[in-house]
Amino acid sequence: MTNLMVNNLYNVVSLQSFTVFPEYFITLSIIYILIVITLITYNSNGLMLQKAVSECMALTLFMACYLILNDDLTSASYFMDILSFSNAVIYDSLASFTRFWLCFFSGLYFLFVADSLKEQKLTSFEYLIIILFSVLGLLIMCSSNDLLLTYLAIELSSLALYVLASFKKTSSYSVESGIKYFITGAVSSAFFLLGSSFIYGFTGSINFFDFYRMYNASIYDYVMVQWFPGIGYLPSFFFESWLFSFSFRASYARLIEVYDLTFDDLLFGYTIDYFNFVEIGLTLILFSLFIKLAAAPFHLWSLDVYEGSPTSSTIFFAVITKLSILVVLIRLCHMAFFEIKEWWDFYFLSIGVFSIFVGSFGGLKQRKLKTLLAYSSTSHMGYILIAMGSDTFTGVQMALVYMIIYMISSLCVWSILLFLRLKRKNITTKYNKELGDLALLRKSNIPLSLALSLTMFSIAGIPPLVGFLAKLGVFLPLIINSYYLPALASIVFSVVSTFYYIRLIKVLYFENILVGKLYYPINSEKTIILSVLIFALIFLFCNPTLLYLACYKISLALFVDPVTYSSLPIDYPFNK
Amino acid sequence: MNSNTLFIIFSSLLVFCAFMVIVSKHPVFSLLFLVGCFIFSSFLLFLLECEFLALLFIVIYVGAIAVLFLFAIMMLDTKSINLSKNALKYIPIGFVFFIFFLIPLLNLVSDHFNTNFLANSFYFNKYQNWYDMVDSVSDVEVYGHVLYSYFVLHFLIAGFTLLLVLIGVVYLTNNFNKSQILEQSISKQLSRNSSFFFDKFDGK
Repeated sequence: MTNLMVNNLYNVVSLQSFTVFPEYFITLSIIYILIVITLITYNSNGLMLQKAVSECMALTLFMACYLILNDDLTSASYFMDILSFSNAVIYDSLASFTRFWLCFFSGLYFLFVADSLKEQKLTSFEYLIIILFSVLGLLIMCSSNDLLLTYLAIELSSLALYVLASFKKTSSYSVESGIKYFITGAVSSAFFLLGSSFIYGFTGSINFFDFYRMYNASIYDYVMVQWFPGIGYLPSFFFESWLFSFSFRASYARLIEVYDLTFDDLLFGYTIDYFNFVEIGLTLILFSLFIKLAAAPFHLWSLDVYEGSPTSSTIFFAVITKLSILVVLIRLCHMAFFEIKEWWDFYFLSIGVFSIFVGSFGGLKQRKLKTLLAYSSTSHMGYILIAMGSDTFTGVQMALVYMIIYMISSLCVWSILLFLRLKRKNITTKYNKELGDLALLRKSNIPLSLALSLTMFSIAGIPPLVGFLAKLGVFLPLIINSYYLPALASIVFSVVSTFYYIRLIKVLYFENILVGKLYYPINSEKTIILSVLIFALIFLFCNPTLLYLACYKISLALFVDPVTYSSLPIDYPFNK
Repeated sequence: MNSNTLFIIFSSLLVFCAFMVIVSKHPVFSLLFLVGCFIFSSFLLFLLECEFLALLFIVIYVGAIAVLFLFAIMMLDTKSINLSKNALKYIPIGFVFFIFFLIPLLNLVSDHFNTNFLANSFYFNKYQNWYDMVDSVSDVEVYGHVLYSYFVLHFLIAGFTLLLVLIGVVYLTNNFNKSQILEQSISKQLSRNSSFFFDKFDGK
């Protein structure tokens, strides 16, 4: 009976669909929620559904978390990569890890914004559905192994973000920020497509693993093609262990120099001169992703967009969306194009250091809280980029650790900003807060001000909190790989940026004024989640190995070749 | 033979339409000739067996862009300016540009499209590929096969993006002002009789 059922299941669901089950689940729930709510609200106007709908979406996302955790493929993905949908989707440990955290944090986000939507006058249910669309795009981006799928996922998520930015139609700031976001997003998409067309034109492929194999062609690939033309690459792991046990995975360029073989035309049909165009295409794609990350020369949109759009949208832009872009960067640079690291690490280091510079010095004179946090997020992206630019395992590991810690702490800060509702009557409520609005919060709401100051200490990198370890971890791979100048410069700039984080705490605790602003208390559900997040900031300092080990496993599994299952290029800097 | 005749007919019609786009005075007429241009060029693409591209020409250029232009022109209601008076002034400079563009173009064509010099001789192998004639797969079919087998996921995501854009655009462009909505109330309509109507005209 069970056997029959299993067989029938295989008839209905093909095996490759198992790799995208969370995405299927979220897609179906989007369609279901859309239809049901449209039917409910069809005849009754003015129905306030947003709290119920947002809790329903949080439930959906937590169930997707459960799906990801309980997947049997997850445990397999630490030692092998599973490709599906004609190699467009990759299911490895990086994908499952980031998809889990993405679903988890967006579920928390939905719980946080549930009550404040009514106060912000964002009562229509389309808002929440569009956010779920964007989460779907980000999830697909995490597991895409293909330039075209990456582009489509970026478009799916960012088209939703443009609508979210301009969702408050009555406010001209919101509409303006939506248009700004749209135009910069269009420029970024154009860069991405131009770069992809360069790469496709000169390599003939859009698949990341093809790029990897192109730069890592070794002698047994040639042997396999020559001796067993019908079989292709498939059993070559056998050959690697038996015939060529020394496994020279020298890079493509070195192979030609050393062995003076002429099979490059047979295998790939072109010579090495064309590789410059691939590098230019890669650079264009990197620029488009840096625009999405709001790294420093490309960050100017983020200040206006974060300030102008409604606060609940801004939280989503600042907290959730960056993780998937980081995953795409890791896949492109540390997997597909790792062999041309001399080309791209310059961009990562220079743009990273410049982002830290701009984020540190731009926030000094800023008094608007949302713009201040936008500068802060720019400098955080700079730390992540310099960790990636050190081109080591540890760099990828530390970038992921930094990203998770950034998501926890910035979710705390932004949600506290969202929770603070002014207790005034008959005055048009000001949505955007300035630095002075937080004065005397220690008297009106002691735990909330404590939480905000702890988070600020963590972001600034003061030792008993996990932000210290995150920053330490970023500088570590740079110093391992002897990039002393970027490390030194970013340490100096991070000292400068500590000023405005500490100034916020000074405003909270030591402001010499007698009349402060009174805020509504927050309810118990949010208090519990917020205190768990704050606890995580302290707990992860005491026990950081949880995060370090998970990210270390991921960075090791990045280089598993899905075809040969051989792990690493030979010249990889293991333990320098 | 047959195909060549059709090619000559369509291309001459295309050139005629392109000429009329410039010459005709009313913008709506020139736009109609532009539509004619697109249609004839898509016929030419059909002759070259690029069915997919030809269909795209008709769907996108004629169906969307030309109609959009037509709406814009009809909305703007521009008065037709008499351009033909100034035409004589611009002929010399136009001729210079014509020469400058034509020479490189002809150069390119003569460089890259070499005709087979044996084409008119007796030895040229004029065989009919019956296999292709009988069992041919059209362009559109191939695209469909590739799209639905290798790029299923991409295709679904593109469709989902369209759904998202639909929801977003409907929300952003609709204004839900209740006062402006005209509603039909059946009881009011049924209780109407002729006295309502004539009372208005009596001035009461």
